Amino acid sequence: MKELVDQISARLRDQKIEVPEEEIASRLKKLIEDFRVPEGEARRSVLNYFLKEHGVTFPARASSEKVKISEIAGPGRWVDLEVKVLDLWEPATEAISQTGLIGDGSGSMKFVKWTKSELPDLELGKSYRLKRVVTDEFQGRFSVKLNRTSQIEPLEKEVEAQLKRVQSMKVVEINEPGLWVDLKVKVTQLWEANSEAISQSGLIGDETGSIKFVKWAKADLPDLEEGKSYHLLNLVTDEFQGRFSVKLNRTSKIELLDVDVEVGSQAAEFAGALVDVQKGSGLIKRCPVCKRSLAKGVCSEHGKVEGTYDLRIKAVMDDGRRVQDVLINRETTERLVGLTLDEAKQMAMEALDHEVVRSLIEGKLVGRYFSVTGPRVDRYLLVETINEAQPVTIADVDELIAAMEVN
Amino acid sequence: MAGFSREVARRIFIEELKSSNYSFRDGEDQHQYAPQYLLTPTGAKCNRVFVVGTLTEKDDIGSDAEYWRGRIVDPTGSILIYAGQYQPEAAQILANIEAPAFVAVVGKPNLYQTEDGNIIISVRAESIQRVDEATRDQWIMDAARRTLERLKALWSAGPVSVSSDFSTADKTPASLPVQDGQRALEHYHTDVEHYRQMVIRALSSLRGDLSEDRSKPKAETATKPEAKVEPPLEAEKPGPRRSKPKKSSPLNAWPEQENEEEVETFNLGKKS
Repeated sequence: MKELVDQISARLRDQKIEVPEEEIASRLKKLIEDFRVPEGEARRSVLNYFLKEHGVTFPARASSEKVKISEIAGPGRWVDLEVKVLDLWEPATEAISQTGLIGDGSGSMKFVKWTKSELPDLELGKSYRLKRVVTDEFQGRFSVKLNRTSQIEPLEKEVEAQLKRVQSMKVVEINEPGLWVDLKVKVTQLWEANSEAISQSGLIGDETGSIKFVKWAKADLPDLEEGKSYHLLNLVTDEFQGRFSVKLNRTSKIELLDVDVEVGSQAAEFAGALVDVQKGSGLIKRCPVCKRSLAKGVCSEHGKVEGTYDLRIKAVMDDGRRVQDVLINRETTERLVGLTLDEAKQMAMEALDHEVVRSLIEGKLVGRYFSVTGPRVDRYLLVETINEAQPVTIADVDELIAAMEVN
Repeated sequence: MAGFSREVARRIFIEELKSSNYSFRDGEDQHQYAPQYLLTPTGAKCNRVFVVGTLTEKDDIGSDAEYWRGRIVDPTGSILIYAGQYQPEAAQILANIEAPAFVAVVGKPNLYQTEDGNIIISVRAESIQRVDEATRDQWIMDAARRTLERLKALWSAGPVSVSSDFSTADKTPASLPVQDGQRALEHYHTDVEHYRQMVIRALSSLRGDLSEDRSKPKAETATKPEAKVEPPLEAEKPGPRRSKPKKSSPLNAWPEQENEEEVETFNLGKKS
């Protein structure tokens, strides 16, 4: 008992609070002896009681300081911000009540408001003082989180902030979400848009690379055609797990270009052994809205959805010098493995296990030599053609033996 | 941007792989999660290897759980691979393959030192797949090309040159193979010619297989005596494999080699 009392008074003294030991002891005793509370719990309870008594709200361990967005340079800091809400996005999970982009004169940053925080919703375009928000970092980019101890105060005066406006970027230069950009691109692939919210999605590219685009139905824009080149104005960049995309919204414009835009990375090729077929290959389910693959029926962006089946391969190729991640779409997978989507579904149904499809693919591909071509997007090569390596000929061997001799 | 990147699977002929005895962890702080590498005599710094060869035998050597061991043979030698409960997919496939069969193995090289100081290299299989002979042929070519590249790096590094300036700045790729080569030379005093001969032997044996397939009986004259090196199926007696033909160099470059064979014969003893 004495020990517990000492611990508690020590903690209280840290907060510059002096409490007579008898008071602590009597509360403790009551909890432990009369109410059979375990010692650890009792200690916590008594400590919290006196902290509250003296006006220390417990979770606010760290004092927060008022900063500008550009001053945020590390995770885990408690800060106060005065910002304007620049953009609101659809939360990926129910744990998040709001997410989007906030800005002040110094810059802009992603914010996340947890559902548990039970904070009121922010309105687009309005300015607020956000108190005691926590900074966070993911892959070198910072964000702020609004949790239960955070506070939101509407501001009378408007905070000066704008989405950064950048004219005419190249695809490869897009490395930040929430930018407004203009691109001159060619549409290289159009994907089936399974959601009513999206009118079109697919891949666009210029000579520096390719990027995913999404055209919202609400944007009310004319359709893009595959193979045609366009000047796309006022797109907003977005990011998901380090990968970028651009969104066409109501303010965006589409102008058809007379010239044909070369898509640079189209030419990527790789030859080597296929050394791994990764999880998420084979028979998968995709979100009907955004086409992302589902994990246990849950889309990282749209939550629990009724998925649609697809067949694809995520594989690793390796030529002994470097590795290349490749993605193989349904058509190519069907041809390569000799298995249609329907057959794959049938197989999985009979085995009561989706993984049988992946095992089959592994058996057919792993350890073999292929050469692939296709555009490189991010760390993936999106396979357009895949061919098994030509059989070794005697001439090949002789050539190599000759190369061994000259030295 | 940077983050995790997968280790390349190196191509190394089995003879060279088994001649390796230098393993280390990379990174400034040598904590237990730093990746482990094996440096081979020609300077391949490998955390992972890719081998295609013939599975000649397999056993379940586990006592409680299944623990599968297999022997893989390429034109230069044979090596043991293992797959147990932590490689369930590989273990299952190995359990179901009937030897002999051509297999492709991706795995981590494993260095084990016996009580009397011998070093045994084996491969812990991450994946095993049955493949066809054409794939094995591809691999021999692949391994030969990569080995040739490493040998060239050794030639350019030169046997001594301790000068640590950037004199060999021939389009230095990612992992600075020149440096790895330098390190290999220091540790193994690598006899470059020996490994050149090894590659030529492997290629000649491949050439022999190919011309046999085409049933063109004349090609044989061209094949050098070394081409006799085991047709990789069945024959994998430890005996004649290496001590055979014009071995331009004495064995002093890999003293542990001989002992290692002995250790292996132990393991071999069990096979039918």
